[in-house]
Amino acid sequence: MNIPTISIPAETIAQIGPIAVSNSMVTTITSSLIIIVMAFFIRRNAGVKPTRLQVAFELVLEYLLNQMTLAFGSEKRARKYFPLFMTVLLLLIVANQFTLLPFVESVVTSDGTSFFRTPTSHYSLTIGLAAFLLILGHVIAFATHPLRHIGNYVKLQLFFQMKSIKDLPMTLIEFGLGLLDIIGEFAKIISLATRLFGNMFAGGVVIAIVSGLMFATQFLVPIPFLILGILSGFVQAFVFTILSVLFISSTTNAVIQSNNQ
Amino acid sequence: METESVKLLAAGLCMAIGSIGSALAEGFVAGKAMESMARNPKIADKLFTNMVVAIALCESTAIYSLVIALIILFAF
Repeated sequence: MNIPTISIPAETIAQIGPIAVSNSMVTTITSSLIIIVMAFFIRRNAGVKPTRLQVAFELVLEYLLNQMTLAFGSEKRARKYFPLFMTVLLLLIVANQFTLLPFVESVVTSDGTSFFRTPTSHYSLTIGLAAFLLILGHVIAFATHPLRHIGNYVKLQLFFQMKSIKDLPMTLIEFGLGLLDIIGEFAKIISLATRLFGNMFAGGVVIAIVSGLMFATQFLVPIPFLILGILSGFVQAFVFTILSVLFISSTTNAVIQSNNQ
Repeated sequence: METESVKLLAAGLCMAIGSIGSALAEGFVAGKAMESMARNPKIADKLFTNMVVAIALCESTAIYSLVIALIILFAF
């Protein structure tokens, strides 16, 4: 039984000046390149009579646009945010399935660390992406209406809406709940990032352990786990995108709705 | 007991106990969704995406315990 070494941090494979280039960075950049090349390829053949790839992409695109229209309330606002989330979705789909490409896991550097690694099984990428998306939502909401956005968390206005002194305990509770929402915002970032990381990391570890268990289990036994990994890769990419759409739309909608009142 | 063995035991228990709740919740969500899909097959597509998102939300409990298990195993 030789279980391969499992490392949570990404392995450093090169050093360019002060930046340590890790293998998950290399894979992220490679998957970005794949997306760009694919975009050129599809754009060139795109037309009124669609090619097969174009149909597949329009399917994904329309699905996400429908979901975003439901979340943001109007198609105009959904289209405004659409490029951001589509980028996230495409990057995550390609990045999650990257190690399925044949032979990429066999590419190793001179000291034995693999050159490519599923970038989403590295916590820095997921927490970076989640923090960027959710903080962006807060920045947009703050820019739209600063006072209302702060008022959604620090609910001082409730004290002015009290009708009698009997309402004071209820108001204090609601004020405290509003403050707790601030902690909830940080919990959202962590849970969003950890969900993606945990699923992809666990998928990789299960395959590594099963194929390292015995000599006989190297060939056919990992296949069901691989299929499960492919499925969870797609599902988690969708879930990450849709949840971030929901979170951002709820923060930005809260400001706009109180604008109309 | 040695520290190493306690660590392994703790990580195993953490995953085992932590995943009970999320497994029950996922089963409940999926079961209810199937029930309503059978009653009204027209909205099955719409329900399916909502079901996947809800299952992913329920899963986060198990993911948290996975993180704790990883911290116990590797960080200490």
